[in-house]
Amino acid sequence: MSETGARLYLRPEYENSEIGAADHGDVERVLPLFERVRNINAVRKLSIVVGLVVLWELYTNVGGVSEYILPPFSSTGAALLDALWTENLLSMIGNSIAVLLTGYVIGIIIATVLTTLAVTSRFGSDLLGTLTAMLNPLPAIALLPMALLWFGLGADAIVFTLLHSVVWPVALNTHTGFLGVSDTQRMVGRNYGLRGITYVTKILIPAAFPSILTGLRIGWAYAWRTLIAAELVFGGSIADTAGTSSGGLGWFIFANQMDLRIPYVFAGLFSVIVVGVLVENVVFRKIEERTVARWGMQIQ
Amino acid sequence: MSTADPQARELPEIYIRPEFVADDIGEAVISDIARPLSLFERLWDNNVVRKSSILLGLVVLWQAYTVIFDVEPLMFPRFSDSAVALWNALVYGDLPSKIWFSIKVLIYGYSAGLAIAAVLVLWATASRIGSDFLATVTAMFNPLPAIALLPLAMLWFGLGTASLVFVLIHSVLWAVALSTHNGFMAVSEPLRMIGRNYGLTGIRYVAKILIPAAFPSILTGMKIGWAFAWRTLIGAELVFGASSGSGGLGWFIFEGSQNLETADVFAGLFTVIVIGLLVENVIFRNVEARTIVRWGMSRS
Repeated sequence: MSETGARLYLRPEYENSEIGAADHGDVERVLPLFERVRNINAVRKLSIVVGLVVLWELYTNVGGVSEYILPPFSSTGAALLDALWTENLLSMIGNSIAVLLTGYVIGIIIATVLTTLAVTSRFGSDLLGTLTAMLNPLPAIALLPMALLWFGLGADAIVFTLLHSVVWPVALNTHTGFLGVSDTQRMVGRNYGLRGITYVTKILIPAAFPSILTGLRIGWAYAWRTLIAAELVFGGSIADTAGTSSGGLGWFIFANQMDLRIPYVFAGLFSVIVVGVLVENVVFRKIEERTVARWGMQIQ
Repeated sequence: MSTADPQARELPEIYIRPEFVADDIGEAVISDIARPLSLFERLWDNNVVRKSSILLGLVVLWQAYTVIFDVEPLMFPRFSDSAVALWNALVYGDLPSKIWFSIKVLIYGYSAGLAIAAVLVLWATASRIGSDFLATVTAMFNPLPAIALLPLAMLWFGLGTASLVFVLIHSVLWAVALSTHNGFMAVSEPLRMIGRNYGLTGIRYVAKILIPAAFPSILTGMKIGWAFAWRTLIGAELVFGASSGSGGLGWFIFEGSQNLETADVFAGLFTVIVIGLLVENVIFRNVEARTIVRWGMSRS
């Protein structure tokens, strides 16, 4: 290994005199109209919906699908309008929502009582833990046969099952939310001398609101599904005994399926979707904006 | 301003306490610092003991109420009768085969739903049109209770397992696709860059980076999907109970209530609860412990 030191080469200084004027291409260019339109979210999503509708209409017309299997979009739309004007669909939706609200509100009240008990005593907390662990996995609809025996054929039985579908998720989420409230916030409350109900309403509920809201959302989703199922399964018997006007949306779907009026079944499904979208994207979105998002507890 | 400050007052004389030494503080007597709790208190501190005694208390209440007030067993059977009915159905009856039927259908629907959700989400991550499509379709179908599709499914697929599976797919698909896609969107930029840095693209990028990083929300989606599917299945079997003879757990409950064998209904409800508890607290708990808890993404 003979060591020969590399010679240091010094590059001579030089000046580049002919680089010319800097010439860069377009830094920004206006997008063509088509791309600008495409970049609007609403336009893209709407065009997807329109595309699906067109596909549906084409498939049913060109493929010659029987109306009993899949009615064309146009007759479904006509059926929806017809049902709205002449068949009291609106009042049926109103019936469903009235039953739903009754069950939902009573369920929330029971859940509040249970969680307040659970926050104030260890026995209450154990009771709530055991009850929710047992009853939360039990689908509310499975209780409907018993409810029909106990309360008879009527709205009472449906309200009872709705109660069951709301109470446990709301109580569970509220209780876990309360347990997760930080000690700092609890101490602030104690420092102001809050106790009992005022302590719960001023400290625990605001601090645990994100998970309370989650519970309310899950409760709504279960209740809505349970209500439609209950009306589908036993809607017939309930509507028969209590008169024709007492059926709900599920009953509308079921009755029309029995009469093989398939476009009307689709019209019922549309209304179920519309009510669901309204509640989830308008009602709950608004509550979220006014509370959790405004309080800075959640990144939007 | 050489005159005296009008604000100035004469300060009170400062009292200085004389130093002193206390000679007779006596021997330090330390009373009990720790004392073993009495046996009762130690037992009472045990979570399992408290919760099972609450369960036992509820059972005793139930039994006492039905025996003392001599409640009509048609309306509310005794606990002992329900337990006997459960035992009889399990050992001599066909409850095991009915449970197996329900679980089989559930597994078909659940895994098909997961597979379709995976395809949709892959498409959504790969292209903007896919993402728009998923967002639009999920917003439409997520609020639609799967059970409302059952009448249509029975028209399309006949009275059989196929229509049950169709409805189950619908109940699983949207919940899973929605939360998986949200999870993918929320994967942090550094994690994505690490993947790109290793030269991962396509499927391998999704499998090695996106899925592990988004696993908490994927798991949430799977849990919600399970809950919806379980509720839908029981509801659907209640409907099927009215339509065809081959049935699972829901049919067992329905049959019980139709034959006024209320004890059988309660036995069916017990079974539903036990299966729900097993899936939620054994299967999902284990999956969680093996994945997100071990990876440090969630506290147990």
